[in-house]
Amino acid sequence: MFSQKVAQQSLRRLAVQQPLAMRSSMMGASPVAVALGKNIQTRQVTSTPNTEDPSQILVKQRLNRPIAPHLTIYKPQIGWIGSSLHRITGVALSGTLYIWATAYLASPALGWHLESASMVAAMGALPLAAKVLLKTTLALPFTYHAMNGIRHLMWDLGRGLTNPVIIKTGWTVVGLSIASAVGLALI
Amino acid sequence: MASFARSSLLRQTLAPRAPFLQKNVGVSQVVAFHASAKKQILPPLPQSVQGTMNDPAPIPETHPSEGSYHWSFERLVCVGLVPLTFAPFAAGSLNPVMDAILCSLIVAHSHIGFQAAIVDYFPPSRVPKFRATCNWLLRAFTLTTAVGLYEFETNDVGVTEALRRIWTA
Repeated sequence: MFSQKVAQQSLRRLAVQQPLAMRSSMMGASPVAVALGKNIQTRQVTSTPNTEDPSQILVKQRLNRPIAPHLTIYKPQIGWIGSSLHRITGVALSGTLYIWATAYLASPALGWHLESASMVAAMGALPLAAKVLLKTTLALPFTYHAMNGIRHLMWDLGRGLTNPVIIKTGWTVVGLSIASAVGLALI
Repeated sequence: MASFARSSLLRQTLAPRAPFLQKNVGVSQVVAFHASAKKQILPPLPQSVQGTMNDPAPIPETHPSEGSYHWSFERLVCVGLVPLTFAPFAAGSLNPVMDAILCSLIVAHSHIGFQAAIVDYFPPSRVPKFRATCNWLLRAFTLTTAVGLYEFETNDVGVTEALRRIWTA
């Protein structure tokens, strides 16, 4: 309350006694600064040298930069989900092939039987439900990756690159791949 | 500031300069925008400045075998795989030469695909050793896979024929 009264009084005094001075000072500094006598810029004679390496300021600043958000912030859409599935199915199929072929190469040393005759015998010994389940598990990634791969090749030619077409072909591939995988599993 | 602003004279002089004193709009919105939780999935690595701080980020060296030629080779393999993938469904199986071509293309396609995944998910700035390990592991596995498939093609019935027999077992 006291500081408020002091400021008010000095401001009134200034306005009454030197109206021109107040008006001209208001162009530059705020009336509060004028009233408190803080409208005068002062500079110290000596200055303290900045010993900090300026490049380190940038290094520290970079650590505070925002980080790109993760996938969970995006709405699930056929475009990016389908694209992710393309890579996931591709890695799964190729991974299966790599593991099987490497195991086949190592099988004489390890005493495993991975030749076609024993695999056919093992498959034949399974119950029907297990056969269908195993075939579906193998066929679905294959049909999806094969059909979506054709879609990718069409994109590489620059065709079908509009949003409605991408949505339509995306769901077409999903439907066709599921249907053909079920068809293959029932052979 | 608030106690000063209560003075009518000061309020009048301050009003045109500081409109936020008249109506408090926007502050809560700004606060709400910054109030979401900070999720550090991959916190930033220790930073370093290359050259002086006014230099732009260096542009990586380009090479056609990692750019356009690589892309074209990738597509050629993919396009070649399309008929070889769908032909066995019509013909029942493939002759040994076509089977060998199919296997070679699949190995090349797989190798390129795994390589793309390693490049995408393991940046050298973040995990240089793990990336190098993955690349060498991939090369080793591609080699064992190629030799394994060669052995299978040579000593067994071939991949498409084996798949047909397993499928109809």
